[in-house]
Amino acid sequence: MHAGTRQEQSRIRGWFESRGAADSHFGTVLVLVILIILQTVVLGFDYSSVGHWFSSWARNWINILRNNAGIGIVSLGMTMVIITGGIDLAVGSTLVATGAVIMTLLDTGPKGLFLKMGLTGIPAFILTVGTAIILGYVLGTVIGLLITKGRIAPFVATLGAMKIFRSVTQHFMQGYNPRVPREFLKISNLTVGNLMFMPIIYWLVVAAVLHYIATRTVFGRQVIAVGSNERAARLSGVNVERVKTRAYSLMGILVAIASVIQVSRIGSMDFANAGSGYEMDAIAAAIVGGTVMSGGRGTIIGTVLGMLIIAVMNNLLNLFGVPPFLREAFKGLIVIFAVLLQRKESA
Amino acid sequence: MIRMENINKSFGAHRVLKDVTITIKGGEICALIGENGAGKSTLMNILGGVHQRDSGRIYINGSEVEFATPADSLNAGIAFIHQELNLINDLPIFENMFLGREPVNKWGRLDLDRMRAETEAIFGRMNIDLDPKTMVRNLDASYKQIVEICRAIMMDASVIIMDEPTTSLTAPEIKRVFEMMDTLKKQGVGIIFISHKLNEVMEICERYMVLRDGELVAEGLVTDVTADDLARFMVGHDISTDVLTRQKIIGPEVLRVENLCHTHAFRNVSLNVSKGEILGLTGLLGDGRSELFQAIFGAEPIVSGDIFIEDRRARLHGTEQALNLGIGYLPGNRKENSIIKDMNVLENASIVTWPLFARQGIIDKKKQENLFAEQKTRLAIRMRKNTDNINTLSGGNQQKVVLAKWLPAGPKILILDNPTQGVDVGAKEEIYDIVLRLAEEGMAIVVLSSEAAEIIRLCDRALVMYQGEIQGEVSGDTMTEHDIMRLATGGSLAAS
Repeated sequence: MHAGTRQEQSRIRGWFESRGAADSHFGTVLVLVILIILQTVVLGFDYSSVGHWFSSWARNWINILRNNAGIGIVSLGMTMVIITGGIDLAVGSTLVATGAVIMTLLDTGPKGLFLKMGLTGIPAFILTVGTAIILGYVLGTVIGLLITKGRIAPFVATLGAMKIFRSVTQHFMQGYNPRVPREFLKISNLTVGNLMFMPIIYWLVVAAVLHYIATRTVFGRQVIAVGSNERAARLSGVNVERVKTRAYSLMGILVAIASVIQVSRIGSMDFANAGSGYEMDAIAAAIVGGTVMSGGRGTIIGTVLGMLIIAVMNNLLNLFGVPPFLREAFKGLIVIFAVLLQRKESA
Repeated sequence: MIRMENINKSFGAHRVLKDVTITIKGGEICALIGENGAGKSTLMNILGGVHQRDSGRIYINGSEVEFATPADSLNAGIAFIHQELNLINDLPIFENMFLGREPVNKWGRLDLDRMRAETEAIFGRMNIDLDPKTMVRNLDASYKQIVEICRAIMMDASVIIMDEPTTSLTAPEIKRVFEMMDTLKKQGVGIIFISHKLNEVMEICERYMVLRDGELVAEGLVTDVTADDLARFMVGHDISTDVLTRQKIIGPEVLRVENLCHTHAFRNVSLNVSKGEILGLTGLLGDGRSELFQAIFGAEPIVSGDIFIEDRRARLHGTEQALNLGIGYLPGNRKENSIIKDMNVLENASIVTWPLFARQGIIDKKKQENLFAEQKTRLAIRMRKNTDNINTLSGGNQQKVVLAKWLPAGPKILILDNPTQGVDVGAKEEIYDIVLRLAEEGMAIVVLSSEAAEIIRLCDRALVMYQGEIQGEVSGDTMTEHDIMRLATGGSLAAS
């Protein structure tokens, strides 16, 4: 009898322990579910008209997800960078730089580059998106090379890049705000059955691809190995410099995608302020999702969940009528709370 | 006097300690030996207040005590000197001596003078010639060890537990620590000496206690037994210390190094290894052999000199290139250089081979699992699930996993840096066996070791390094501990 209970106890403890394991999202999912339940309660459940209730509930959700798609994509790249043991503070500036290029290429005004070349419509859009992605890749790679070949600490290298990219962009744009063709806005604003969810699809697709990269490819696993024990990875024949550089290149590509979404959502960009604070929001999402700042641990799924937690909480604060200036404080609180919770889980 | 009576401890369903009873008296050095996983660390962690026992009692001088935390144990006079020393490199010795209980004057400022004076007093009592103002960073491993022991003495420790204190020490450093232990003994302090090195146990200890599978299987006076007896107690059957034999088929040269120079670690090194040969490299700690082979593996820059692989000149820029050229390297210091702690056993065992067997960068999961399954049987790795964390394995099995990551890559030359460090006697023999089989299959093997006995048993010939240069070569008749030590300390063979 006694032995039976003890065995039972250890079985239960084992279940919890396996849930608390490094790559398990048990705690994160739990927090998210609680927040969603809370959100549903606050929105009010309408028994008399479930159909109507659900459609407004879903609309609210599509809004939340759409608004967070860009930063959600950036946070995925940030996760990979943080896992290597680095950080990228330049994401906001890279976003503005690629955004400026996108808009200059597509400008409907007299300065529009593609318009001058007589290139319009879908081919112009494809070329623009392609150019943006290549530019993002190049900027990311430059940062990566500064860190690996130049041996500059990631914090410092990306801090420098952050200042340079935005300043140069602002100089070239000189307050000029190009206008992009209305059709380009379809990329983010296409309506299907009067719902706008394209950015959500992009986010999901990118998340799926990145999850695959992180778990199934040589690069993805080498990222973890490098972040967990750089020396051991190097002594196992891993080209540590290349792995790190590629993480920043990937980050650049994702920022470019986020930039395309951003530009095509509202059709304009404030080069002085757009994307500022993105680096911190992306880092916050990664941390809430279980990524460890010292590297070696973190998952794409965790970061998606982390982003959702922050988003739902923002929505809740909105619904509760919390003054806007206070909302950032809650974001700060949830990041700190998440880290405390993870420490408890891993202990 | 400390007595642990009928100590039992289980982790989950696994019984780690079974009714263990031991006694330690003041003024004696008592060896606690056993294979990895025999329960030594658990037993000492219970005494040190780190773990809690399931049942049993602990007495100090006849009265029962209860240790809930390491601090309780320390207050009762038991000091635990861990393998990873608890010193802060960037503080001077005297500040390290008072870590966590720094004396302050009435203004709340650190009382540095008092700290210095008390440290000097302890050093005086212990006959240690050290300036308390020296930064800990500038001490060698043995003096760090000694500082930590002095700290324990300062806290009135009556029993000191030393967990493998000599593992990373050179011969003269070991001597220094032993002298210190002798002084402590004369002052009435009891020492529990955990070690894998049986000759050290024979040299310094009065009594021995042997744990095997959580049971105390033997104890007694060291004068009544031989090192062979102790080894037998540990593994439960006879083990050999004879020179290992194999079918020797030495083929053409695989690796040749000419006049290799490093910025500081080694100079003018020339050597060669052939297919099917086992070359040894030995010397004292800091002789540059690890850096030499890290350079050959592309992990350290070289200033001048050439490396030839199968007679073709290799210009190495990185380890990835070395891997592709057929060089395999098993680093020393497993925890720092080999183990990826955030990854499971399977991933740790396949990190080298991912790129070799990937298709368009996508890992071939099936191949990864099959290759590891093969190595698991070939190397007799004892483990549970592939997805378990690497840290759940014992030292010997971790080392086999590290070996397993290289073998499927099929290196032409395999460099093993201290392959049996922190590995118990049984696993050691198994690893030797694997190395011999690899040589028989035609691999060129280089073994780096500071244990002369290991070199003699395993290698066909050995190069002895001294301060970054090759001092001489031993083979056949000249391959004795005596000759190796003579070369390693800067002497030459001709003089004898």
